[in-house]
Amino acid sequence: MSPLAITTRDTATGPVLHVAGDLDHGTADELRALAAALPLRAGQRLVLDLSRLRFCDSSGLTALLAARNLALAARADIALAAVPVRTLRTIRLVGLDRVFALYPDTAAALTA
Amino acid sequence: MDVLRRNNVTVTGDPQGPAVVLAHGFGCDQNLWRLTAPALAEAHRVVLFDYVGAGRSDLSAFREERYRDLAGYAQDAVEVCRALDLRDAVFVGHSVSAMIGVLAARQAPEHIGALVMVAPSPRYVDDVGYRGGFSAEDVDELLASLESNYLGWSSAMAPVIMGNPERPELGRELTNSFCATDPDMARVFARTTFLSDSRSDLASVRVPTLVLECAHDAIAPREVGAFVHAAIPGSELVTLDATGHCPQLSAPEATSAAILEFLARRR
Amino acid sequence: MMCGTGHEPEPGGAGGTDAVFAALLEDSAEELYETAPCGYLSTLMDGTIAKVNATLLGWLGLTRDEVVGRMRFADLLTVGGRLYHETHFAPLLRMQGSVGGIALELRTGEGGRLPVLVSSAVKRGGDGEPLLIRTTVFDARDRHAYEQELLRRRQEAEQARRQAETDRGRLQEALAVLQRSLLPAALPTVPGLEAVAHYHTASPDQLGGDFYDLFPLGGGRWAFFLGDVCGKGPKAAAVTSLTRYTLHAAALHDPDPVAVLTTLNTVLLERYSAGDPRFCTAVVGTLEAEPGGDRFTVRLASGGHPPALVLRANGDCDFLPTPGGVLVGVLPDPTFTPAATTLSPGDALLLYTDGLTEARIGPERALYGEEALQEFAAGYAGASPRALVEALTGLLDGFGDGLDDDTALLALGVPAPGAAADGPR
Repeated sequence: MSPLAITTRDTATGPVLHVAGDLDHGTADELRALAAALPLRAGQRLVLDLSRLRFCDSSGLTALLAARNLALAARADIALAAVPVRTLRTIRLVGLDRVFALYPDTAAALTA
Repeated sequence: MDVLRRNNVTVTGDPQGPAVVLAHGFGCDQNLWRLTAPALAEAHRVVLFDYVGAGRSDLSAFREERYRDLAGYAQDAVEVCRALDLRDAVFVGHSVSAMIGVLAARQAPEHIGALVMVAPSPRYVDDVGYRGGFSAEDVDELLASLESNYLGWSSAMAPVIMGNPERPELGRELTNSFCATDPDMARVFARTTFLSDSRSDLASVRVPTLVLECAHDAIAPREVGAFVHAAIPGSELVTLDATGHCPQLSAPEATSAAILEFLARRR
Repeated sequence: MMCGTGHEPEPGGAGGTDAVFAALLEDSAEELYETAPCGYLSTLMDGTIAKVNATLLGWLGLTRDEVVGRMRFADLLTVGGRLYHETHFAPLLRMQGSVGGIALELRTGEGGRLPVLVSSAVKRGGDGEPLLIRTTVFDARDRHAYEQELLRRRQEAEQARRQAETDRGRLQEALAVLQRSLLPAALPTVPGLEAVAHYHTASPDQLGGDFYDLFPLGGGRWAFFLGDVCGKGPKAAAVTSLTRYTLHAAALHDPDPVAVLTTLNTVLLERYSAGDPRFCTAVVGTLEAEPGGDRFTVRLASGGHPPALVLRANGDCDFLPTPGGVLVGVLPDPTFTPAATTLSPGDALLLYTDGLTEARIGPERALYGEEALQEFAAGYAGASPRALVEALTGLLDGFGDGLDDDTALLALGVPAPGAAADGPR
């Protein structure tokens, strides 16, 4: 069990959230709250860097979807970067790979 | 469970001599007999033990369902006799332990051949036509105060017993466990003791019995001694010129003399 | 000492000061004894009171005449104290020569009780013979009050603990009732088919989000579904309830599996807001007996759900793939992938939720995974659905705390030739 740790970085194209640790029933709300507090503007892109994500369950997926809804409501974009293998598998299984733009790393997500 | 360990059994004296079992009553443990056991040990095999819940017995063996009845304690006594394979032993019981002895002798006549009752009482609460020494309110108050004062009871009772200048032979090996007991288990023993009524068991005694009472005993008044003597067929009554409820401590020579005299006549 | 006022100092200097103090104090041994802040008592060896100080008499509410030579120390105590005195205090005093700090209670004037601390020592004569007992009595009301407070707190804590236990028991009971309401009490009997389900709870404290059902559509057709609402607890349970009823109603209206999932998708999207998205994975399908035969046609569609397993009488065990389906309740324009198969005698279809495949096993807590499930189930190809579900139940039990999600299982099978289906027709 690793606690959730999220760091925020501002870039020219929009905020990057580095999400590390476990995203589960107990911690998902933290991500949702943080995403809701981001000053997202239309045309920006919100990137979630998941390279240090260790675990993600359905509550974690909910948080990602909530972040997506927030981005859409602000008329911004959302992308997932460096999704770990296990989480990628789940995302593919439930068809969310056609819902989220997926990139191998943050750099790719920012320049796309 | 090894009974000898469970009941903290101590055996002293002459291994070839006739067996004498010393059983403590409520409120104490085998240390109660410290001042009288040596005299008895000269010519007898003396067995001391603690009932489960008292003294240095194995407290983990305590079960409230068993020990809230005198039969549970009698079972302890029988199991001790059985574990040592005692034959024709004299069971010396103090206070309520005298009644426990009655039950034990009935249950195991092959082990127990005679009874000595020291300051016995078959019932502590007064009844119609019977003076036990305590009113029902007294006992309620007692049990309530045990409940509320247990902090006092437990904290006070871990004294260090230094050598007694009158009894140099007791020396340094006096333990500091005198009357130390688990307060919850003591409470169970207290309830069992003070709410018990063994009067009807007395008539069934079939072994030679000595009743030793004290001249001034607030807990087992003279009427009780007389009652017990009258109820047990063929019993003897000796009144010790002693004050208080523990003659084996307040008048140890007279107590052991009376017991030895009874033991000698059995030969 | 007065100073700073310009007055003359007291006459006599140092010696004069002592005299002044002595005069002020008026100490005599007598007065010290009588009016000490504690009680003093001397008794003969049998307890008869020989001397007592005024302080103690005051506490007792008795006069000297009533006490000296007439009462014993034990008479001053409550019944409990008297007993304690006989069985502990007096013997200890005999053996040790002194006892200290024993908590007792004195009986006072109007039937009251005064908690005290008592210390006694035996005074001996020149030849060592014990002569009398000297006792000091300290007012222990404060200490007693403190002890009572401690006891009271202890009892309160004990009571709170017991109340919490009861409450917890009631909560678990309520949750269990709710949980049961989210699942069918029993599966109906489908002629020519054996249907077995099992729900395995990972945590008795949390409502899980898995659901399943099997029900008639009329005209010899049956509908089934199995799925997993995201999240746990009461909110998820509400979604589960809505999902079940929606799927049920939609299937009765139009049993096409893709249409059913699309309806559910619309309902979930409409009902739940962007800030609190609720979705589920689900497999929905229909069963229809082939006319004149003993085979069943299965049509199903999946919304992001793990693929079903088809076990064949000849020992084959393969997934029925439904790639491309998406979670239900997320997209306004979702894709749900249909699939179909036929079940012949000895065949079975197994639906499950990902609590099973996501279980962590072994020292590295690796995922159990779909391949392992396939291998395990293959051992039961050709066996009855009941045997398969029982074996899987055993497997789930064996996962112990590697399971952190609920698991639902639904097995639908056509009895092998010669074997009767479970349950009454």
